[in-house]
Amino acid sequence: MIASDASVIEIADLGKTYPGATAPALTEVSLSVGRGEVVVLLGLSGSGKSTLLRHIDGLETPTTGSVVALGESVPALRGRALRSLRGRIGFIFQQFELVGPLTVLENVLTGSLATLRGPRVGIRSYPRSHRERALGHLDRVGLLDRAYQRADTLSGGQQQRVAIARALMQDPEILLADEPVASLDPESSGQVMSLIREIAAERGLTVVCSLHQVDLALGWGDRIVGLRAGRVVLDTRTDDLTKDQVMEIYGRVATTTSELAAIEQELSEVRDALLTEEMQRGAAPAREPEEDAR
Amino acid sequence: MTELAARIAAVRRPAPRTATVVSVVVLLAFLLLGVVSFAGLGFSWTQIVESLDKLPQFIDRVVPLAWPGFTWVRATNSIEWVGWEPIGEFWASVGVTLGIVIVGTLLAALISIPIAYGAARNTAPNAVVMVICRALGVVARAIPAVAFASVFVFVFSLGPLPGVLAFALHSIGMISKMMADAIEQIDEGPRLAIRSTGGSKAQEFWSGVVPQAFPAWVAVALHRADINLRDTVILGYIGVSGLGLELGNAIHALNYHRAIPLAISIVVLCILFEIVSSVVRSRLLGVAPSGRGIGDAIVRAASNRSATVRAAIEKPGATPDRAAAIQAALRRPWTGERIASTASIWITVLVVVGAVVATQADWTDLFTFWSNLPVLLAKDNLWPPTFGVYTPEQVIGAVLVTFQVAFAATLMSAVIAAVVGTLAARNVAPNRAVRTVFRGLLLLIRGIPELILAIFFVIITGLGAQAGTLALGIGGVGLLGKLVADSLEEVPHGPERAVGAVGGSRPQVFFAATVPMSVPAFVAHLLYLLEQNVRSATLLGIVGGGGIGLYLYDSLRTSHYDQVAMFLLLIIALVLVIEGAAILIRRALR
Repeated sequence: MIASDASVIEIADLGKTYPGATAPALTEVSLSVGRGEVVVLLGLSGSGKSTLLRHIDGLETPTTGSVVALGESVPALRGRALRSLRGRIGFIFQQFELVGPLTVLENVLTGSLATLRGPRVGIRSYPRSHRERALGHLDRVGLLDRAYQRADTLSGGQQQRVAIARALMQDPEILLADEPVASLDPESSGQVMSLIREIAAERGLTVVCSLHQVDLALGWGDRIVGLRAGRVVLDTRTDDLTKDQVMEIYGRVATTTSELAAIEQELSEVRDALLTEEMQRGAAPAREPEEDAR
Repeated sequence: MTELAARIAAVRRPAPRTATVVSVVVLLAFLLLGVVSFAGLGFSWTQIVESLDKLPQFIDRVVPLAWPGFTWVRATNSIEWVGWEPIGEFWASVGVTLGIVIVGTLLAALISIPIAYGAARNTAPNAVVMVICRALGVVARAIPAVAFASVFVFVFSLGPLPGVLAFALHSIGMISKMMADAIEQIDEGPRLAIRSTGGSKAQEFWSGVVPQAFPAWVAVALHRADINLRDTVILGYIGVSGLGLELGNAIHALNYHRAIPLAISIVVLCILFEIVSSVVRSRLLGVAPSGRGIGDAIVRAASNRSATVRAAIEKPGATPDRAAAIQAALRRPWTGERIASTASIWITVLVVVGAVVATQADWTDLFTFWSNLPVLLAKDNLWPPTFGVYTPEQVIGAVLVTFQVAFAATLMSAVIAAVVGTLAARNVAPNRAVRTVFRGLLLLIRGIPELILAIFFVIITGLGAQAGTLALGIGGVGLLGKLVADSLEEVPHGPERAVGAVGGSRPQVFFAATVPMSVPAFVAHLLYLLEQNVRSATLLGIVGGGGIGLYLYDSLRTSHYDQVAMFLLLIIALVLVIEGAAILIRRALR
């Protein structure tokens, strides 16, 4: 496909129908993401956001169309080539998907598996340089002190930060995040979202993040791509959105008027909360307040 | 009112569900076949009473007990101290027995990992591999450990090695099946996450699947080791070293003064082993040391000592330099958790090394046996399998007796367990004390290996199918009684309270609410017990309990390997038949 220098993800006419499903999960989706761009995929659950993200990482095979990531045609890749591409793309899941019985550190280390040959069991089976890097990433997400704890003893927000450290361990060029805060309380959500944003800025990462809350998306991404029933219904920059445009976005991603009303109500509340939080963070930028205290 | 009566008369009774019909038919069939089998085996009340009369005789033949270190003197009917040496030998035998069980089970557990990988739906590379791995498991389970052991005794001659290999192969069946089930139940998310980082299939398995399935793997292996320890009795009879062999020798010499202490030792060993394995299994579910035991105290003390190290990395402010903090964190602090896990790893290593040493096996045989094969295979009584000296009537008769023993024993267990199990259920037992007593009784019965029971009854009632039936019948109470009690306790309590609330007495609640809801479970457990009993009944003959096993044993003793092969095939076929039947009935019950 025509992959320009600037775009790191180039999706054209992507269609996906799961075997046995009546309706397609994705229909004629085209999307081009430039290097360093922070894109939010917005849509209700079932609108195809996850499916789209999984195609970029080669976790799904398209029915029609093409997916090019980092200059490689993803569906054409097999074996080592596919694995090394996946190694360059970080993926953050809604349910964190840490290996519960393993230590936090070993979970972070699994992020470097693509660069290692053969299976690894135990922290010591990873090279010392990897361990140092992994601890550094844990320090970056503020969880160095938890390195040797079992991953499933952490709170949801902490687990998601470990998952971010695991993605950092891959030294990724693209970061994909699938509803990263949908399972978290508002406070942890704020921490995780700003952490992703900070890291993206530090490293010049290209980020594609799916969300279902418009308000989170508005303050967070450079660009919003709306999905509804597997189709792109919106693609806009967030710089200068007016109130009317925001409402219009709601109209596109939501389906019924009652939903709209409910969302509008939620919008004002959450926006205020976000604003206060943003200001607090501006005041004390060093270390985020720990929910560990609980 | 007449209108109502007419409407009542017009209510149509729906046709009963297939599952209901099947369970009624199964229960009736159990009853009928059980009674017929009892009659066929020549049981009668007078005989049972006579057996009880033989009890003083039995005691006479057993007392005084000649524990290791003592010997029984016929002339004076007393025991005499003979020195420490036999005691040393006894403990060596205990070591050999435990060694065979541990090494054999460990090998099986290791071999089971790749087989379970291939057999689990979510990890199997393709359908062909999955079918092959599942078939391997089924075959390993269908072939009794005794069958494997007989073949290995033939190849390696007597000693510990046939036992180790028999357990290693037979146990694969159960361990790989349960491990595959555990793999199928894991959370797929972490695996997907590792795939998304670019991990290979092998990395996905070892980093994403194994950590989740590991506790199940250890638990199944320990449980299997329990079962294998019980099976060492029968392996001893066919020449595998250890306590079973000592016991077999004593029985063959009709020296019951020596045999009974050995049998008691085996029972105690089984119970101790079970306690240890259940403690380890419960520990695996992840508990911090909070007890007052000495081990916990040591763990706590040691974890305090490394508090300084932990402080360095736990307080970010304490080490202002990030690089230094990371360097400090590279050294994993000795927390209680780490001490516990490190200690358990080393204890495991020690146990395994100890087991390998204690087994006293000549491991080099594993690599040199092929040089003996030509000699062995040149023997003329190897092939083709034949019934040899046994007439078809005899063989059919023995198969019939095998099934009779299984059915009669199952019926006996069912009747006793229905009472004992019921009284052991929390929601039925009249009070706590009753429940505790009957739970304890069930626990005790389960602790005694069936074959030891069989040996007891053979000594009391003499050789024959009746001894076998009594052994299986009583042994089965332990298992079935527990299952009955558990399933009664698991019954939803709402209906029970409802019947109680309308003024029902305890018995009324039991029959109106508890029983109807636990019938399906009872039928399933009965079926399971029958399956187990057929397996056991095919082998009971080895210790003199009647059935087809006797012919296998005689063929082995007289080195008629063509007959051994035939009877092994027959036993495997019987096991497969009953397993197939059970699968069909279970499907109909669903």
